Amino acid sequence: MMNFVMNAAQMLLLVLAAPLLRGVISKLKARIQKRRGASVWRPYADLWKLLHKEDFVPNTASAVFRAAPVIVFAVTVAAAAFLPLLHPAAFLAMDGDIFLFVYLLAIARFSISLGSLDGGSAFGGMGSSREALVATLAEAPFFLVLTALAILAKTASLSGIAAWTIHQDFFDVSTVHILAFVALAIVAVAETGRVPVDNPTTHLELTMIHEAMVLEYSGPSLALIEWSQAIKLHLMAALMIGLFAPWGMSETAGLGAVAVAIGLYLVKLLCLVVGLCVVESSVAKLRMYVVPDFLRVASALALLAVIFTAITKR
Amino acid sequence: MGLIELAAVKVLSSAAVLLFSTVLLMATAKRITTCVYLLAVQAVILTLEVVAAGYMEHVPEVYIIAGMVLLAKVIGIPYALLWLMKKLHTPHDVGASLSPGYSVFVMSGLIVLSFVAVRLYLQELHATEVMLAAAVALILSGAFLMVTRSKALMQVLGLMVLENGIFLAALVTTFGMPLIVEIGIVFDLLMGLLLMGIFVFRIRDTFDHLDVSRLRRLRG
Amino acid sequence: MLLAFILVIPAVAAGLVLMFNLRRAATAFAVTAGALEVAGLALTAWRVSRTGSLEAGKYLRADALTAFFLVNVGVVFFLVLLYSTSYIRHIPPGRFSSARWFYSLLFLFLFTMVGVYLAANLGLLWIVMEATTLASALLVGFYNTEGAVEAGWKYLIVCTVGLAFALFGTIVFYVAAVHAGLGPDDALQWSVLAQAGPMLAKSSTLIKLGFVFLIVGYGTKIGLVPMHSWLPDAHAEAPSPISAMLSAALLNCAVYALARYNTITVHSLGPAFSHHLLIFFGAASLLVAGLLMIVQQDLKRLLAYSSVEHMGIIATGIGLGGLFGVYGALLHTFNHSIAKSLLFFSAGHVRETVGTSRIPALRGLARNLPWTSAALVIGLIAIVGLPPFGLFISEFSILREAFSQSHWPAALVLLGTLSVVFGAMTYHFMRMLTGSPERAGSEVPAKSKTGAEFFAMGICAVLLVIFGVTIPAPFNNLLKAAMAVLQ
Repeated sequence: MMNFVMNAAQMLLLVLAAPLLRGVISKLKARIQKRRGASVWRPYADLWKLLHKEDFVPNTASAVFRAAPVIVFAVTVAAAAFLPLLHPAAFLAMDGDIFLFVYLLAIARFSISLGSLDGGSAFGGMGSSREALVATLAEAPFFLVLTALAILAKTASLSGIAAWTIHQDFFDVSTVHILAFVALAIVAVAETGRVPVDNPTTHLELTMIHEAMVLEYSGPSLALIEWSQAIKLHLMAALMIGLFAPWGMSETAGLGAVAVAIGLYLVKLLCLVVGLCVVESSVAKLRMYVVPDFLRVASALALLAVIFTAITKR
Repeated sequence: MGLIELAAVKVLSSAAVLLFSTVLLMATAKRITTCVYLLAVQAVILTLEVVAAGYMEHVPEVYIIAGMVLLAKVIGIPYALLWLMKKLHTPHDVGASLSPGYSVFVMSGLIVLSFVAVRLYLQELHATEVMLAAAVALILSGAFLMVTRSKALMQVLGLMVLENGIFLAALVTTFGMPLIVEIGIVFDLLMGLLLMGIFVFRIRDTFDHLDVSRLRRLRG
Repeated sequence: MLLAFILVIPAVAAGLVLMFNLRRAATAFAVTAGALEVAGLALTAWRVSRTGSLEAGKYLRADALTAFFLVNVGVVFFLVLLYSTSYIRHIPPGRFSSARWFYSLLFLFLFTMVGVYLAANLGLLWIVMEATTLASALLVGFYNTEGAVEAGWKYLIVCTVGLAFALFGTIVFYVAAVHAGLGPDDALQWSVLAQAGPMLAKSSTLIKLGFVFLIVGYGTKIGLVPMHSWLPDAHAEAPSPISAMLSAALLNCAVYALARYNTITVHSLGPAFSHHLLIFFGAASLLVAGLLMIVQQDLKRLLAYSSVEHMGIIATGIGLGGLFGVYGALLHTFNHSIAKSLLFFSAGHVRETVGTSRIPALRGLARNLPWTSAALVIGLIAIVGLPPFGLFISEFSILREAFSQSHWPAALVLLGTLSVVFGAMTYHFMRMLTGSPERAGSEVPAKSKTGAEFFAMGICAVLLVIFGVTIPAPFNNLLKAAMAVLQ
């Protein structure tokens, strides 16, 4: 019972706190760039505003256009059910859920690509094709990283990997983990559309990847898509924390342990956020034809991580 | 004492990982100055390794070698390379003939190859497998950098990485050779760097560029 | 004491000659110091042939093999110095290309080479061998033209990489010795290692691994194919006396180092392994050099490839082993030095009087430069191995060894390549010497002060004839003692 409540709370936390994460990142970036920035609760206000606006649909669009945002939101929330956050078990954990997690995110990407193609605008098509390129190249390293960690932990479940990692010594430097972390960081940047792969705050259509796909959406559909993007960012961050630094997750259901777990999780999230903001503020966005090379680095590192699981003991 | 001992053990066990990281980062680097900083980091790791090994094995003359490595490879050589970069006013571009993505692939392949090579000879050489593999990986990656990067300074840098690898191989198999020999080797390296610096200036003055792949007058 | 003396003189001379700004003064000082050094080398050789090996501390040692090569380097240095006194006026003056820098670098070069021969410690051997690369790199690039700078850079990089591999081989040998039970101070002493054959047999895989790296590494310095890419460029672009020094003295240095390592390997593993490797590299050098010589367009490059070919012969000789193989190889190092010096001296003279060393541009030399052409012809006959010159005897000795061991591949490669080389070189030389000199570029040279150059060339020719007809007894005894060291 307590487990069920905790797991449900985990999932709700992942979903509901996502816009706040977005807000914190924007605020922090603004501060780094010597601006004051909008309030951290601004994304919630945006979502509220969008939900109360009218939903315009292009004349040429079909049901795909209307269904895409809903599918994206549903699938992303479903993916959130598999991530361990506060204790090394998730709402829905099963053997092999690393593949399910990756493919749920892939379904989301696929739906939004179809939807933007269906919208009929030129920029939608451009965004879809670019997104398809980045997604294809990012999928291989994503899988390889999860495979490498699964081989080490001898389990194919995200919660299982987190549980295994908790029992490892923090100070034993592991080649596999370092390589996998760097590869997953690159993949996370590509998946969530942050600098240096895609600039989420750009207004120049020719430089957009994800934003180009959602140009035609408005009202509640846009709200669902924006929220899904924020949830995805939170998912990738939680994935990195859960796979590589899960210490602090409470194994018991006591209130004190849970509080400590939440506190430590927020600290780790803050570290990731600071890292992301520093990178976003200091690195320039890569030109589109250099992005495959960037992802090739991630693939090479992930492949090396898998090979290293066989070479070294850890 | 326990803390220093713990630190020494941790250094010895994680040095290989850090060296592999520097090697992979060098493969992705797009500017010569980045590679020089990575070379300095490699030398720092080597110095720490020398000190840790000397501490664990209670061989005091190893500290002299560590001091020498610190002076020559951590401070001297990177500083000389950066000074050359400043004086030459050349573009900082690395002149890579393979893009960073493919370079990392090849470098990963070389790392795996070094592990395979070490497995063949491990029982003869009484050393930790990872460290010896790191040494061979440094040697192979130095050669790789020399072959795929066409700027003259990158060839010098590749040579320095290669020599770092050989130094590490000597260190993990024998705790260094007799002191005079080690000093002589480092001295030779510094003189070699001096000569290469002179030649780099001459190449720049004669050809107006530092791209070695464009030196093709002598053939056949 | 004497050993320290012959090391200190060139080092000190290299520094002191920089004080003499005028060409004549620098030349005079250089000749004096050079004469002193050559006397020291001769004295060392004489002492060693009388009393066995000399030692000074743990790091310097001169046995019969050392003495033999010291005689070699002494003769070559004397000839090069003599030739340079007159040749130096052809070098265009620049900030670092003046006479005093030339002599200073030349003495430094000599210092490092003598150091290689005197090193008793294999680690020290490597250090000084690397120093020879460094000392000669600036000499290779001395003219500061595009070709010279490119050749110098290539030489520096390729030889440093090659020697890095040789360092790895040295380390592996050290590890093998330490694991076989030798103390860390003794594990790099050649005299100890040469005697410790049965002990080292315990680490046979390591010795094999080490020797492979060493033959690749020192083979780069020798110019064995496929590590020879620096050689044609460096020997062609350097000033001619330096080319002579490189071909005649430096290549022998590297042969000496490899021969020392070969002895250790043979004593511990038996002859099969190292001999196969040596013959393989030697035969490859012969074939590749011989074939490439056919298409050469530049005289000095042709001579450089000829050096590669002869180093291949020497490597094959050492690889064949046996009494006649080693005798032939050692004698060949000496004879080849003299013949190659003669050829490079003549080529230098041609280049400076006619203005180019490209073969298509050189016509009718026999008419314009009769004495130089005579030297070229003598050099040609000598270098292709015809009697009555010395190379015939050494090559014949190596061939005899190949036949007596029934080593048909080696014999076939040797005979075939020698024929090809004979044809190629004769063809190129005939193109240069015969015909009538036409257009500008073949002007008749003014009677200039080339006495010293011709004197040097004359000595070479005389030595070649002497060693072709008979080998003087003291030299023969030294040669036999050197062979004994290697067995």
